[in-house]
Amino acid sequence: MHAIQVWLVKSIYAHSPVADLMHTHWAWPIAESFHFLGLCLLVGCVGTFDLRLLGLGRRVPIAAVHRLIPWGLLGFAINITSGSMFLLTEPDQYIYNPSFHLKLLFMTIGGLNAATFYLTSYRRVFSANASLDAPTHAKVIAAISLTAWMAVIVGGRLLTFFRPGECIGEQTALLLTCVP
Amino acid sequence: MLDPFLAWLESTSLSVWIVESPSLLAFPGILTLHAIGMGFAVGINAALDLRILGVAPGVPVGEMRRFVPVLWFGFWLNAVSGVLLLIGYPTKALTNPLFYLKLALIAVGMVLFVRISRRVFRDGVELDTLEPEASHRLRRLAIVSIMCWSGAIFAGRFLAYTYTRLTQSQTY
Repeated sequence: MHAIQVWLVKSIYAHSPVADLMHTHWAWPIAESFHFLGLCLLVGCVGTFDLRLLGLGRRVPIAAVHRLIPWGLLGFAINITSGSMFLLTEPDQYIYNPSFHLKLLFMTIGGLNAATFYLTSYRRVFSANASLDAPTHAKVIAAISLTAWMAVIVGGRLLTFFRPGECIGEQTALLLTCVP
Repeated sequence: MLDPFLAWLESTSLSVWIVESPSLLAFPGILTLHAIGMGFAVGINAALDLRILGVAPGVPVGEMRRFVPVLWFGFWLNAVSGVLLLIGYPTKALTNPLFYLKLALIAVGMVLFVRISRRVFRDGVELDTLEPEASHRLRRLAIVSIMCWSGAIFAGRFLAYTYTRLTQSQTY
């Protein structure tokens, strides 16, 4: 894994398409602001849907609340775009950052969890005669979704407090958490 | 006139703990709670505004009321975490005009939220039976609300880049 990390950092530094743009005045804070806006859209729309599955606003058909999801996905797309711009500008600050590793882990969990929802619960939750109360497995998925996205925020917000320093001595952990 | 007060505030043990403690629960933890609270406060506001603007037409707008406690949870989480961040770095915030802009945008955003709540929750207005004029007014409130929250987020993020004084003892 260490070799992959080093290779990634090196190739991004060599070919980054956005580094020059991101080094211009105010580009970084503007991208950060969009990252926060996207976060709010994601939490507001996906979170509302998760809370509905868990039983909040029980009188509203689940399928109706689901119409908010595209806006949550828009927030997610904004964040993948702005997040990639950070990563493609300062790759070593992310690829060697343990907080970023956890953030990616929880994003993966959130993504697989959402995929699981559409594969296992979609038909039961959205059929015309679906009950207003979501089945238990859909509630579990909703709880995992809320937890995973909260953890993604925690991982993102703590990035600056886990900035990787220079490596000292032999590194034996699975992932490098310092700059070689 | 403000300086002696800020110097005193920065010398309190709470302020020193927030700024200097190596614990992740101190400054990093408070900052994280501030981001999570923002997600809920602004996110639910945005969902309500989007609903008013025509998204998710199958959701009776009055039923959005069920999600309002989550919005208030986010709001109070951020009021508390925001005050703690302010106690940590009072000079940094209070000497930056952008901080007052952020507070003003949040204040307008919350006033708009209360006005929208009165229309759609208390008066029980239904969007599709609303007179065109009233419908336009409500949509306008929703659009200005989205603009206020976006502005507050931009102002908040730019605080980290535009301060001129960090603490009483240090200058930038």
